[in-house]
Amino acid sequence: MSGRIAGLGDRELVVFTFDDQEVNARQGDTIAMALWAHGQVTVRNSSSEGQPRGVLCNMGICYDCLVVVDGVTVRSCTTLVKPGMTVGRGGKS
Amino acid sequence: MSGADLTQLDTVLEADVGIVGAGPGGMAAAARLAAAGVRVVVLDEGQRAGGQIYRQLPVGMHNHGVVQEPPSHDDGHNLIQSFEGHAKDGGEIELVRGATVWDAQPGRLWFEHDGVSRLLRCGHIVLAPGAYDRCIPFPGWTLPGVVTAGALQVMVRGFGVVPGKRALVVGSGPLLLPTVTSLLGAGVEVVAALEASSRMRALRAVPAVAFHAARRREAMWYMKQLWRNSVKLQWGWTVFACEGDGRVERAIIGKVDAHGRPRKGTERTIECDVVGAGFGLVPSIEVGMRLGADTHMLPVRGGHCLVVDGEQRTAVATVFAVGETCGIGGAEVASAEGELAAAAILRELRGTTVASAVVSRARAERRAADSMLGAFAPLPGLHDLARPDTIVCRCEDITRLRAQEAAAMHGDSMRAIKIGCRAGMGPCQARICGPSLQAMATGVNACAMDVPVVQVPLKPVSSETILTAPQ
Repeated sequence: MSGRIAGLGDRELVVFTFDDQEVNARQGDTIAMALWAHGQVTVRNSSSEGQPRGVLCNMGICYDCLVVVDGVTVRSCTTLVKPGMTVGRGGKS
Repeated sequence: MSGADLTQLDTVLEADVGIVGAGPGGMAAAARLAAAGVRVVVLDEGQRAGGQIYRQLPVGMHNHGVVQEPPSHDDGHNLIQSFEGHAKDGGEIELVRGATVWDAQPGRLWFEHDGVSRLLRCGHIVLAPGAYDRCIPFPGWTLPGVVTAGALQVMVRGFGVVPGKRALVVGSGPLLLPTVTSLLGAGVEVVAALEASSRMRALRAVPAVAFHAARRREAMWYMKQLWRNSVKLQWGWTVFACEGDGRVERAIIGKVDAHGRPRKGTERTIECDVVGAGFGLVPSIEVGMRLGADTHMLPVRGGHCLVVDGEQRTAVATVFAVGETCGIGGAEVASAEGELAAAAILRELRGTTVASAVVSRARAERRAADSMLGAFAPLPGLHDLARPDTIVCRCEDITRLRAQEAAAMHGDSMRAIKIGCRAGMGPCQARICGPSLQAMATGVNACAMDVPVVQVPLKPVSSETILTAPQ
């Protein structure tokens, strides 16, 4: 089970949707980390096989955590959450 | 980053010195230059200064000892404080957060920032882009929940996120220790910590650690943390495969021989919901290569590295390189080399001398790192973990067999393999598969692999960014 480490201080709530489910994130979270803390480790389907994929490097190198935000494909590990943002799975669907 | 920051940022920025990377190397160089009144712009892909090693939590969060930190992080805090002191309004340093550098020429760095194409014009450039995790493909490594050791560090230290309930840590080298302690700090049960090197091989690192006061203190701290939490490092073990339905649920672990080859009959199954794999680091050399720096292969330092002179200057007179891009060495090396590069630039800009203490400190730190990391140079036998049907190129879903067939048909070079099967042609631009692809497709020793092919854009950016690039 994933979640948040307690006692590190709290930040403003940011609500966004991923594949039509509502996700509670915090100001300053990347999409990838908000989803991981929410228990959602799969963010993409791989390009030709359609296999589930998630974060690999978490630092903008691997492009395995691609998601679609407002029609644009972005790295979920380097893109910050914004209130009301609509995020969809990256890759083949 | 606030919206105000974005609107204030010009499309074309000017600085005396442009720095790529706000880790220890970039911060040390920037702080020293700023102290002498030189105007510096630092481009970093992250949201806060610190780099991967001294990752800071998002604004509004504070660690306060919740996740314990090793003694070396005091240096990190001091460096960040000094850097951020100069990066305040009206200071000499401007830090551009979330900047992706996609092209470079001497005196010019093109980057994408919040979807806008921007250019930094500068006299000198200091490259401190750092490194990334070396990945070794094994069956099941594409399952969600299997991440790099660095990814776990970012999760815990960078965002305060709990990676899972039961974690398996595998790989080789000194970075396994901070990975384990971060997990423990996040309250995760570390079900096993597997170091592929044998204890005998790793013992070669002991003199280098024992005679370096800071590294010795650091090693003692990690040992104490492991001992307190009853986590034992298992030498000569690694992961053979990960399994699960849609995400990792268990791992098959086993023993490896002195070359890293898996030993049959030693397999054991272990339940876990997250796996952190860290088989050392690979220097990030793309920007330097694009600028015209020379490279050389140094297995002890993680593979192909930028060549620099005794003052961190590359083959291009105005381009300096510090830290991991010149070969893996750690934060102490990076900050010492960052100071040296800054001193050399200040001599050119201000006519000041380069203090011999600055030169000797950089040399001593690099020497100490080289002798320690020699004990953890990549084990070639670990390439035997990938089976014919194991995906090696994650971007394009290319299996090892397809890469082998491409090499047989088109040739053994990296370029031939790429063209033959599209491995390494996806958005990561072979940063993940590249360090092992040629060895796995052809059996060539990893030390004899081709220099990576560097293409523009250096990282994928929108065509809009390329078309609207300021000149």
